Amino acid sequence: MALRRQPLSAPRPGDTRPAAQRLAVPLLLLLGLQGAAAAGGPEDSGWLQDAEPSSRLLSQAARAALHFFNFRAASPSALQMLASVLDGRAWVNQKKEYKFDLVFTTEFYSAEEGEKRLGKCSAQVFFRNEKPRPSVNVTCTQLVKKERRQKEDYQLYKLMKQLKSPLNAVSIPDSHGYIAPSLRPIWDLAFLGSSYVMWQKTTPFLHYYMSQISSVKQWKTNDDAIDFDYTVLLHEFSTQEIIPCRIRLVWHPSKPLKVTYHCQERQTPEEASGAEDGSAVAPTGLSNF
Amino acid sequence: MKPLLGTFYLLGMLVPGWLGYDRSLTQQRQEVVDKVVNPWRILETYSYNRYHPMEEIYQWMNEIREKYTEVVTQHFLGMTYESRPMYYLKISQPSNNPKKIIWMDCGIHAREWIAPAFCQWFVKEILQNYKDNSRIRRLLKNLDFYVLPVLNIDGYIYTWTTDRLWRKSRSPHNNGTCFGTDLNRNFDASWCSIGASHNCESLTFCGMGPMSEPETKAVSSFIESKKENIACFLTMHSYGQLILVPYGYTKNKSNNHEELIQVGQKAANALKAKHGTNYRVGSSADILYATSGSSRDWARDIGIPFSYTFELRDNGTYGFVLPETQIQATCEETMEAVLSVLDDVYEKYWYTNSAGKAKSTALVLSLLMSFMSLL
Repeated sequence: MALRRQPLSAPRPGDTRPAAQRLAVPLLLLLGLQGAAAAGGPEDSGWLQDAEPSSRLLSQAARAALHFFNFRAASPSALQMLASVLDGRAWVNQKKEYKFDLVFTTEFYSAEEGEKRLGKCSAQVFFRNEKPRPSVNVTCTQLVKKERRQKEDYQLYKLMKQLKSPLNAVSIPDSHGYIAPSLRPIWDLAFLGSSYVMWQKTTPFLHYYMSQISSVKQWKTNDDAIDFDYTVLLHEFSTQEIIPCRIRLVWHPSKPLKVTYHCQERQTPEEASGAEDGSAVAPTGLSNF
Repeated sequence: MKPLLGTFYLLGMLVPGWLGYDRSLTQQRQEVVDKVVNPWRILETYSYNRYHPMEEIYQWMNEIREKYTEVVTQHFLGMTYESRPMYYLKISQPSNNPKKIIWMDCGIHAREWIAPAFCQWFVKEILQNYKDNSRIRRLLKNLDFYVLPVLNIDGYIYTWTTDRLWRKSRSPHNNGTCFGTDLNRNFDASWCSIGASHNCESLTFCGMGPMSEPETKAVSSFIESKKENIACFLTMHSYGQLILVPYGYTKNKSNNHEELIQVGQKAANALKAKHGTNYRVGSSADILYATSGSSRDWARDIGIPFSYTFELRDNGTYGFVLPETQIQATCEETMEAVLSVLDDVYEKYWYTNSAGKAKSTALVLSLLMSFMSLL
């Protein structure tokens, strides 16, 4: 009986797993781990497939992939949210690193009632122990045509340029979940910047949502780009913590997105440092990591 | 003569300007009349599509009790840390029938505003429809509803005055340098063993000991005293769109796990049929994360058979700060889910009983008839 040690490869068609095999897998995993320890061979890094990955784990990996996708697309008018995971495979190695092979559906972020459109993505996600984490390889069906997306981005850009700075807006949305229509572009752009941060911070055990923009600082629009400085409150689901992150992004519809951030972490045993910083420039085109 | 004058006076009130009264004076007098004739001021214009601060919810409870006095009573559970009274509403159709209790609490976590909004919606739906709606009428024949609209009152008020994303209670610790216990980690169900923190700074701080918080004590001592008669324990949260069954503190399943899942799945289907919203059903440890000290797990462990946590809308887009424009749809679909659970609970206790009664009655009758035929 072959041990279930398989390197990450191209997606294979879904296979049925008979009950007997399901029962045998934990035993096999145990044997596999022992075997790997004994052999110590580097050729396949000791990846063991998780026979029944939890839906939570798969959803987390899918979200990480989607955060990266949104960041790379750099299009605040075409942000996508996770709908459901259709298929997912997970592997873990001795270093407790995880790899995922996923197919999931997405929804248009700012969908009005009645404009519900489902997209579909396939992704490979690799949670390494070193930063930056995780690395993502993702392709999605095009929910919105490129021309329409560019047009709407440009409209958003013009709206932002017209808004007076500094803004006096405090919380977006307000306590009752309301976002004034004139402030909607700010929310979209903030979500785009937060996507970068949430992608960076997601691990197999921690995942994030954007709760509220707690302050919008000034922005300048020199050299045509929008230079946007704001504080966002991220909600981490498993610890339930609210993490304030100061994010600065520089955006122009036809140029790569630039993001820098600084998050205030609570001092917990799991976190080594009290703050997390990062910065990046979105890659142009569909480059693979 | 006097009645005629009285009629003139009344007419004068109704027709502004007639008899020389100016409009504003008439309005003032009308308001006085309103207060005397119409005591349900907040209820007349209460919007169930908006979030309400605690003072309004207290007033709403009073007026509900006064308006629906034939079926509603208001009861004191205990005091919060900051000395605020905790009240639940009991909805009960007076009868000689044996009753089982359905318990529902909302707002154990302060920032989950959609949950108290749902508790109020639920009460409104039952009271506005129990006379004409056969489904609700049937449920009220043998079920009493006990609804606690806001469990974590101090925390809820704090989210209105100071920090919208506050979660815990407001009890002080570490010499007043740190505030709040996660009330849903404070129950005596494998307390603080996993998925909770001994550190007061943490948002999942389990408290100084199991049931250490006055809010937890108030709820648990009441539930404990009635546990023989409680068929169903529902606790409403947000967000995540989940129907959770025990347990969070272990991957082991309760002895009625299959049934809980079946009933839960049926509820999720009923919910989805309303507006297309997807809910997932499973044990907390399986589909969410490990937690200990939750009220749902504790309720199941003291013997309440149907124990569920509902995590309402949404899936993370707005999270805790769900727009008011979504309150109605969320409440409508959740109502379908809850009614589905209640139907199943009802069937379990009274369908089999009534079938049994019919069988035994038929047996007695046939015995009587055969006896009489011998005479």
